[in-house]
Amino acid sequence: MRQISALLMACALMVGLLSCGGHGKLDKAVRAALVSGDTTKVMYDSLCTIVTENPGKYGNLLTSEGKVDHKKMAEFIKDIGSHLRPPMLWDTRAYGGVEDLSLTVYFERSGSMVPYDSRGDGGQLKKAVNDLINHFPAGSKVEINIVNDGIYPYQHTVDEFLKDRDIYQSTAGIGDASYTDFQLIFNKILEAQRPGNVSVLVSDLIYSPQDTHGVSLDKIFNEENSLATRVFAKYKGKSVVVQQFLGDYSGKYYPYNGVPFDYHGKRPFYLVIIADNDVMDQLAQDKRYSGVLDAPAVRYSYRFNQGESEIPCRVLPEWKDNAGRFRVKHGDGIVLAKCDGDRQTGKLCFSIAANLGGLLKDDALLTNPANYDVKSIDGYTLTVQPIEQSMFTANNKEYLEGMTHVLTLVGDLKSPRDEIHITLRNELPDWVRQSSSSNDTNTGGSFASTTLGLEQLLGGMFDAMRGGNNFFDLTIQLQK
Amino acid sequence: MKHLVYLIIGIAITVLFFILSCTDGFNIWEQMFFNQGYNDKMFNLNMYPVIAAITILVAWGGAAIYYYAINSVKFDRWYHWLAVMGVVAVLAPVVCYIYNDTVFANNGLMYIGESIQFEMQTVLFAALLYIVASYSMRWWSSNCRHTPLPQ
Repeated sequence: MRQISALLMACALMVGLLSCGGHGKLDKAVRAALVSGDTTKVMYDSLCTIVTENPGKYGNLLTSEGKVDHKKMAEFIKDIGSHLRPPMLWDTRAYGGVEDLSLTVYFERSGSMVPYDSRGDGGQLKKAVNDLINHFPAGSKVEINIVNDGIYPYQHTVDEFLKDRDIYQSTAGIGDASYTDFQLIFNKILEAQRPGNVSVLVSDLIYSPQDTHGVSLDKIFNEENSLATRVFAKYKGKSVVVQQFLGDYSGKYYPYNGVPFDYHGKRPFYLVIIADNDVMDQLAQDKRYSGVLDAPAVRYSYRFNQGESEIPCRVLPEWKDNAGRFRVKHGDGIVLAKCDGDRQTGKLCFSIAANLGGLLKDDALLTNPANYDVKSIDGYTLTVQPIEQSMFTANNKEYLEGMTHVLTLVGDLKSPRDEIHITLRNELPDWVRQSSSSNDTNTGGSFASTTLGLEQLLGGMFDAMRGGNNFFDLTIQLQK
Repeated sequence: MKHLVYLIIGIAITVLFFILSCTDGFNIWEQMFFNQGYNDKMFNLNMYPVIAAITILVAWGGAAIYYYAINSVKFDRWYHWLAVMGVVAVLAPVVCYIYNDTVFANNGLMYIGESIQFEMQTVLFAALLYIVASYSMRWWSSNCRHTPLPQ
């Protein structure tokens, strides 16, 4: 009888152990990688080895040729990550199965662009383009075109372009440099774009059509605005990122009234990055392309045609600002249960780490609470701060990893149930208005940092490509 | 037959305890002590099943030792049985704490205060499981089957 008892006891323990989910080797390895933050290619390759060495067990993750199906592998990892606390993401697109994006550069060669690349100056414009090309993986296909009154292929290799110290000299005589036909250029770029392609126009974004003698500036601005709206409204599903840089300028400047003058100083120039929405999302998230959209020399940037995004976020259980008590419910959405206000003040304060990097918005916009709408019964207020390396501790590392900002909410906990809605409004950013001028006939005022008619051009694009009223909408449920 | 029912119920309770130690939605270890950061790490590092297994093994092992290894008329009084329960209630949390501390240290984490508070639950669970194990297996002990309460 003793033996029977012992046998049953052992059985009970076995049943118990097996009931705990039957974690396979791969499950455990993925979980360990996510929890330890070891989300490197070496780790990914070791996971693939587990799959290929156990085709019987992980056949559903293999292609018919017996190779790892990276898409299914990504889904498998995503599924395990979603069951962790907090849910964790690992973007494995860079490790296989996804083709490199191609790059087409459209380099404006109008009269007013030449002084950006004078031999004695800093060469910021050329550096920005070189950096852009270099931030694409080595295997990516790169094409370069020269644009002014039309689009002309660059006759040399990419390496020659990168080494070229006097790009405007070596491209002299291509097209008519006296004017830039944006309508033609944007139409051609958008028409020529194929899936997986990123097109970049390098330009000062000054609308300089042919024969403007005697035409009022208002008329030119209206024309520019309508043109931008008309062109971009035609092409659905495209995203545009406009990046502003500041570069040295030495030479003749051609104002709208046609009386050129010499100018030596700083001037803004722009990279207009055009791609399909999903390609732009990939540019923003895929680590292989880091540096394309977040180059350090970018002063300001704005992404057009951006619908409402889902923001990855995690409630921070241990944070210096936390006051009162709450318990995060795991599952869909953010639910804080068993909320209790601070014993002394009665206030509930909690922080959420969020990844706002995918929105491609600068910190000035993201950290200004005035850009957000916060609605709740108890009147919670919001502050936003960027995450810095000094904020990381061993205990909060997995909550902050991959996140860019901390959203802190404070309010008096009165209602038994409350719902906080946070939205970031989709508006043309202030820098566009601040970087726009309506007079470029002299170098006074903010000439060094403004572009004639920028607000009208980008405003036209904004009207054509507005993706929605908000960039994101976050709901937090509070339960006492 | 009655004794076999006791054994089956004991096993069922123990298995249920183990299952409830592994679940995300309702986890038995998160009912009496909860610290979001600490408990999330316990869950992610898959420590709950191990903590539960240690508690079960110590409790059932303690009962098995008392009823089948000690199994002596010299030690068949209720306070002998209680003394073994005391050993179980101390040993289980100590082993669990050492395990917790080792895993956290290996992951660069520091949760000493939380771990001590958490292990107070292990004292309780180990004692309860020892009672369950005792009533499951005492019937076949030659000298201690009437301990702790004669039936």
